[in-house]
Amino acid sequence: MSEQYKILHPVKYYRDYLAHNIRPDGREFDKYRPIVVNLGSISTADGSAIAKVGRTTVVCGIKAELCQPKAEAANEGFLIPNVELPPLCSSKFRPGPPTEQAQVATQLVADILKNSECLDLKSLCIFPDKLAWCLFADLICLDLDGSLIDACMIALMAALKSVRLPVIDYDPALDNKQANLEHRKPLNITNIPSSTTFAKFDDKIVMDPTVDEEDLSTALITIALRKNELCFVHKPGGASVTDEQLLKCIDESQKRAIVIEGIVETALRSLQ
Amino acid sequence: MDEVKLRCELGVLTRPDGSVLFSEGETTVVAGIYGPVESKINKTLVEKACVEAYFRPKSGLPGVKDRLNESMIRNVCEAVIAVALFPRTAVVVVVQEMQNNGQLISCALNATCLALLNSGIDMKCMYAAVTCFLDRSDSIVLIPPADEREIKGSFMFVFDSVEKTILASHTEGSFSIDQYKDALSLCREESTNIFNFFKKALTIK
Repeated sequence: MSEQYKILHPVKYYRDYLAHNIRPDGREFDKYRPIVVNLGSISTADGSAIAKVGRTTVVCGIKAELCQPKAEAANEGFLIPNVELPPLCSSKFRPGPPTEQAQVATQLVADILKNSECLDLKSLCIFPDKLAWCLFADLICLDLDGSLIDACMIALMAALKSVRLPVIDYDPALDNKQANLEHRKPLNITNIPSSTTFAKFDDKIVMDPTVDEEDLSTALITIALRKNELCFVHKPGGASVTDEQLLKCIDESQKRAIVIEGIVETALRSLQ
Repeated sequence: MDEVKLRCELGVLTRPDGSVLFSEGETTVVAGIYGPVESKINKTLVEKACVEAYFRPKSGLPGVKDRLNESMIRNVCEAVIAVALFPRTAVVVVVQEMQNNGQLISCALNATCLALLNSGIDMKCMYAAVTCFLDRSDSIVLIPPADEREIKGSFMFVFDSVEKTILASHTEGSFSIDQYKDALSLCREESTNIFNFFKKALTIK
């Protein structure tokens, strides 16, 4: 009976739950879903991780290639994220070129990485202007149930922490590269940025929305933090929020950031 | 504190229903609005108008960064235009970047607001976008420093004209929560200047 009610009157269905200060999945407004992280899932990749936020599942695989640095940044390597939303993850997507949602998600992940400065690109350079590492980070969503950016960031940071790059001996005069595949070194990751998504519905703000809640919401806010500093506050239009609501969201995402950092560190120890 | 110089020319283009050439300091964009027009069949919404946004960079093919700008422009316009009045139609917003000195997204959003006002389409309120920068000496300024490397972070906020609540927010770089709050209040004060500029621009024409 409630299934039919949910399909016929989705807005009223959701509003009735919110009036009792609870959401359809039984959570309160400021409760987030359980997070699961697993490292080293893909043996053929240089670094990999799977992250689940509730039912949203994102796999991250990192492949390292050698390339020439750009002329305007001769002593920097590259870290290129790419978020894919295949038809598997949701009925909204069909096979074809990346949808706008996938492209926006890719740009958001790239922005958070750049703003947080978690990986110094200079450490990826082997020889200035001649040779540098280019890390391709592919994030593939297997199941889309809201909070896509949160799951992407957790999977990406866990995968980056698990990357082991071979040491390269490079002779610039002879242009000779020797890769020592036995001797591998981890990357120098200075901090773990994490993001939290909020959805606004009527005048209430809920944390960590599911995909049904995101579709019904009038605005979405994504906040990314590293340690105690904000590195990304993104509200792409939609209904307006008051200052108090926005600052409360920042507060709650600070608490969640500490939990996420702990989870990624624990998962790392299991790999070692 | 120096003020950002705003300049605009309404109705510069003949084909769009509303158009504007708008510049905020050294950042310049041209925006055009077509609406309400016929929408694509797969995008037609039964109960409201569908807002389409297109952002073209100064050079090169549009990339993922431009998709993000398009999504911001579309979401802000959807919240502000009275879409329920024009079902089964589309409002097309096109922005062409001319020059970028750091305030690109806010310049594009202000230009679209002026173009919407110029086109006469019904709106629930006006909106103003303000960008401010955090420089190396940890002070928050409205005018970007001449050297790009001096910029530690930038904040962009969009406020509505009725209650000055936050319609949109976008940041770059990392900063503390107090710096974010300071930037928010500075931008809110500056938004009054932008609304006054809009009113003057409309009455002069």
